[in-house]
Amino acid sequence: MRRGPSARPGDLLCFITVLTLVGTAFLVSLCVGAYPIPLSELAGLVSGKTGPSTARSVFFTLRLPRTLMAALAGFGLSLAGSVFQTVFRNPLASPDLIGVASGASMGAAFAIVFLGGGMAVVSLSAFAGGMLAAALLLGLVGLSRRRGMATFVLAGIVLNTLAQAAVMTVKFLADPERQLATIEFWTMGSFSNVTAGKVRAVMPVLLAGIFGLFLLRRQILLLSLDEDESRMLGVRTTLTRYGVLLCATLLVSGIVCVSGLIGFIGLIAPHIGRMLLKRNSFRVAVFSGLVGAVLLLVADCFARTLSGSELPVSILTSTLGAPFLAYLMIRKGESV
Amino acid sequence: MSAPVLLEAEGVRACYGAREIIRSVGLRLREGELVALLGLNGSGKTTLLRSLCGLHRISGGCCRVRGTDCASLREKARAQLICYLPQHSGVVYPIPAEEVALMGRNPHLPLFGMPGKKDRERAHAIFEQLGIPHLWGIDFLHLSEGQKQLVILARAIVQDAPVMLLDEPDSALDFVNRHLVFTRIRAAVQGGGRCGLVTLHDPNFALAYCDRLLLLQDGGICEEVETAQAGCAELRAALSRLYGEIDILEHPGGYFVVKRSARP
Repeated sequence: MRRGPSARPGDLLCFITVLTLVGTAFLVSLCVGAYPIPLSELAGLVSGKTGPSTARSVFFTLRLPRTLMAALAGFGLSLAGSVFQTVFRNPLASPDLIGVASGASMGAAFAIVFLGGGMAVVSLSAFAGGMLAAALLLGLVGLSRRRGMATFVLAGIVLNTLAQAAVMTVKFLADPERQLATIEFWTMGSFSNVTAGKVRAVMPVLLAGIFGLFLLRRQILLLSLDEDESRMLGVRTTLTRYGVLLCATLLVSGIVCVSGLIGFIGLIAPHIGRMLLKRNSFRVAVFSGLVGAVLLLVADCFARTLSGSELPVSILTSTLGAPFLAYLMIRKGESV
Repeated sequence: MSAPVLLEAEGVRACYGAREIIRSVGLRLREGELVALLGLNGSGKTTLLRSLCGLHRISGGCCRVRGTDCASLREKARAQLICYLPQHSGVVYPIPAEEVALMGRNPHLPLFGMPGKKDRERAHAIFEQLGIPHLWGIDFLHLSEGQKQLVILARAIVQDAPVMLLDEPDSALDFVNRHLVFTRIRAAVQGGGRCGLVTLHDPNFALAYCDRLLLLQDGGICEEVETAQAGCAELRAALSRLYGEIDILEHPGGYFVVKRSARP
């Protein structure tokens, strides 16, 4: 009799492969950049015994935090994307749907123009903007009499539109030479400004979000049923959705406030995950997260090396992501 | 009849906006009983079912399961008393059949808990009982409609609720599968100390599988028929209130209803 949670032999292989890829991409990411560090020097640097002091300082203050953040961002955005696609019962859902990204943009733009534009202030303000968007969304849904999934989507459209109007207003008032450019660059995403301090500050938030989603993993799956069905299985749908969305927003805002907007990862990685494992569960969401980590690590390596100056990472994720979506669309199959 | 009453509704009224859909419905279901709710489109069948299980707020009357008023209960407590079989399940992503069935354990698990070994063994035993052990581990989305409905029935059985409400569970099934699913539903109701209230369109399936028929018209129950005792004339009189000109044919297994065709 088969009792265990059904794991298939293929699953293990997929997990091992993706973990190897994460490890490899992580190592490569530690090495490449404007100041290349040879692989052979890494061990010495980490143990602190050998290596030039410039290399050590580059490694610990810039390279390691940046790599860590890129991996975490890929993981977090893809996990959140996977959760959103499940809870909204829509394979094209992403955290943008409920206005988190627009809210964070608004926060960042506001800080750039009116609060002096210091890096810490922008991050904090972006985080606050993302959380505010989610809080307003939940408030809006709470006010409405119908609380099905469609209401969440409609409220998301309302908030997205308002936040974008606010961003446009701020852009209009911005100094076109410096501030407007900064806002534009922020919305294209980059890991070039990641520091050890930022990673330390945002880490607890990300872990809290991930842990919350982990605890809610069974409820997330139950929410993927029809509204009536999940309620009759004992789920307090609205309250549970609030919890799930809050955890996911914590995760996304925490990432986006450090890196700026990063397109497409949260949409693509869950598709790859489901396509490879051929099902949907929290384990697959975690797998998608690992896929996202690989993709974003690779994209960030290219962002650092393709041209003389840093490329915004969204250019790469979008150029890689859109053709992939087209491929899925043409192939159709069991991808969703 | 001495079996205990499991589901009891009195004076249930339900509205959509200002329009009253259900006017003062009362019913009683005893343990082991499978009761059919028959009615034409728009007669309020689904609304009544949704009102009884708390998905639609009732504007008057009350509904009790084993003496407990359901309206006062939260989703989880209610799911321990009432389970619900939809026309078809809203599973949209690939997920193994047994995981779908195990969702039925949710009302008995802590919020963050996971189904344990006992739950899995129980689910597997029910899969065997329903004759679908080969579906264990198969992607739910790859199943036929009949198989899906059996998995959903398994989910309802592991939920361990005394009252089963079924909303046209046969609507997507072919002739053979409808019989199979109804046979299994009847066994689950009779053997499990449950009662079942099922809405359906085909009076012949109701006659073949249900103990009692409740005929719903304009939001009220207009007729009630015990299928085992009703004679041909009584059946015709009751069913023709809903279906107009009908004939009742007698066959070795019981009665068969045919609508007189308007075709010349």
